[in-house]
Amino acid sequence: MKNRWGYLFISPWLIGALFFVVGPFIASVYFSFTRYDIVNSPVWVGMANYKTLFFDDPLFWNGLLTTLEYAAVAVPLGIIGGVGLALLLNLELPGMGIYRTIFYLPSIVPVVASSVVFMWLLNPQIGLVNSLIRLLGVEGPNWLQKRPFAFWSLVGMSLWSLGGSMIIYLAGLKDVPTTLYEAAVIDGAGAWNRTRHITLPLLTPVIFFNLVMGVIGAFQYFTQAYIMTQGGPEDSTTFYGLYIFFRAWRYLDMGYASALAWVLFLAITCVTAVIFKTHSKWVFYGR
Amino acid sequence: MADESSSRGLWLGLAVILVVAVAVPWIVPGPGQRHYPHRKVVRFWHVWTGDWEKVVDGICDQFNESQTEYEVIPLSVPGDEADSKFLIAVAGDNPPDCMAQWQDVIPNWAESKLVVPLDTLMAPDEWEHQQKSIFPAALRIGMYKGHLYGLTVGMNVYGLYYRPDYFREAGLDPDHLPGTLEGLSAWAAKMDKVDANGNLIRVGFLPWGMRNFAPIFGGGFFDWAKGSLNLDTPENMRALEWLTDQHERLGFDKVVRFEASQHTASGGQGDWPFMTGAMAMDLDGQWRVQEVKRLAPDFDYRTAPIPPPAGGRSNAGFCNGNFMVIPTSAHDVAGAWAFIKFWSGLVNPQRAASFYTSGGWLPMNREVRDAPLYQDYIRQNPQFKTFVDLLESPNLYPIPPVPYQVYLSDRIDRMEESACIGSVSPRQAMDRLLLEMKRELRLRKEYGYVD
Repeated sequence: MKNRWGYLFISPWLIGALFFVVGPFIASVYFSFTRYDIVNSPVWVGMANYKTLFFDDPLFWNGLLTTLEYAAVAVPLGIIGGVGLALLLNLELPGMGIYRTIFYLPSIVPVVASSVVFMWLLNPQIGLVNSLIRLLGVEGPNWLQKRPFAFWSLVGMSLWSLGGSMIIYLAGLKDVPTTLYEAAVIDGAGAWNRTRHITLPLLTPVIFFNLVMGVIGAFQYFTQAYIMTQGGPEDSTTFYGLYIFFRAWRYLDMGYASALAWVLFLAITCVTAVIFKTHSKWVFYGR
Repeated sequence: MADESSSRGLWLGLAVILVVAVAVPWIVPGPGQRHYPHRKVVRFWHVWTGDWEKVVDGICDQFNESQTEYEVIPLSVPGDEADSKFLIAVAGDNPPDCMAQWQDVIPNWAESKLVVPLDTLMAPDEWEHQQKSIFPAALRIGMYKGHLYGLTVGMNVYGLYYRPDYFREAGLDPDHLPGTLEGLSAWAAKMDKVDANGNLIRVGFLPWGMRNFAPIFGGGFFDWAKGSLNLDTPENMRALEWLTDQHERLGFDKVVRFEASQHTASGGQGDWPFMTGAMAMDLDGQWRVQEVKRLAPDFDYRTAPIPPPAGGRSNAGFCNGNFMVIPTSAHDVAGAWAFIKFWSGLVNPQRAASFYTSGGWLPMNREVRDAPLYQDYIRQNPQFKTFVDLLESPNLYPIPPVPYQVYLSDRIDRMEESACIGSVSPRQAMDRLLLEMKRELRLRKEYGYVD
């Protein structure tokens, strides 16, 4: 009886998930084998979409490589930055609560708002970043308007929202038993050795979690590129997710976009599986 | 006992939420509230916002007051998403009865049989008459494979805006513009300004848009007689090379820097570089006349058609516009068509002239243009006349009417971007466009599309 009430209360979510997530998810498998423009009935084209995207679409490879490059750079950077920040903010100093709040705040600013702010900061002629560089007597680059700077600007901007992962790392740090540090101090271990041999190993489950979430997020990277560069200059920031969007909603090529989405899904699954496969070698659960 | 009372509280709470959720939509008036509940509804979607939306609402009100059969209910849909919202509504069998659009959608929608050929709603003699009355550019915007699918209710054409004060400052005579594009370009160079760091703070003229300059150089992207793409022509190459030269003269990087510093993220009104003083000349659409009048009524400027280069075409360029379409699955095609005729001026052009003047729009036919009210508007806004005169030109062209119009338009823009930031030569940019389009056309054939 209790179970029934539980299902009743979550039924809006269940029904929503069934119709708006599971249904389209399954339907997209079928659409990926068709040409489909939303309005007319899908026309079966077999493997044509997959054949085209692998062998006949430079923008597919461009999007995939750009996204892989972003994931390979931004995710490790985010982990290093997040852990470093958490270690600093874990120090017992007066006013630390204020610092933690300050570093966390950017991660709750809506992406659209922060993207617009960064467009101004990175403006090549009147932006704050180039104004500061100009003080050194050097003219800064056209950040968002020239390759490869546009890509690297977006990578740099990803550090803006470090606060979200920092909070999780901080929680992980609080979980490290103080007895371990006390024993290490008695044994004569210095700060570096304590960090290297106690803190980081015990933090690996949290790093593992953030790595998986970070990789999935990086593969789905979309909003900032859509707002700040629209894929330009010269397609250099046409990330995979953005390309799917263009194909689906700009060119009304839903069948092809579905095939792209499925390749992305499989790519994310493979990469996540590899990370899971390796985690027993580097994630330490303290047992 | 406590359990029973908390359970009762829970149910009571849920009941209150349910009642409020059901009651709110009835109490708070929605955007589509009816004023004439006994009439047939014509649901009209458009993409105007702000002051323009008020003008559109006013036109709808006038239509509703002008007859007793229909009630038009307007709804403003965000411009960037309007076409996808429309498609979803059509797929859900709940489309508007008519829609005003400005995206490159007609060939695609017509090919998919999503929209009604409007010429089939006219008697043959009426259609024949309208073809003579509607400006050639307006017909090109709305036509696809011999049928009219979109009726333009506001043309967009582009001309040269220039500032006499900067001309005089540079010792140039604003009363006698050069007769050629080459001459104009030489004048522009005299009005460029850089700051101590070498950054551009003012440009004489920063031309943009292959879609504008290809026709000006005598080219274009489409063979209108044969109905096929025509991309790699000597005229198009000359246009691309000239555009690249203009950017190179100012410095590829410096132009990018300058352009980025001139626009707000929203590309809003009031920050037009020409008006703020960062450009001595600019190529822009007729809507700027109304904008200047509203935001800077004392601003001194003039307009003219872009002069052609040697061997080019005069009064040439790009055109697009706001056009009305009726979905094939509209619930009331007759009501939608009555509204479109009312607004566009197919009936009573004298009355329709007031709609165009209130929005500062260019009409799609000669009857509205020649209406006394519209002529008064031109007299009150002398700089607007340049654009009205351009309407008669046979040299204005929209993006080619092909079902892959959006893709073509994107790749043409990409070609121009690559050449004008100096990453490849104009020839290389053109060759890449040809490759991309060849591939796209081959794929469309393989997929079974009939273009």
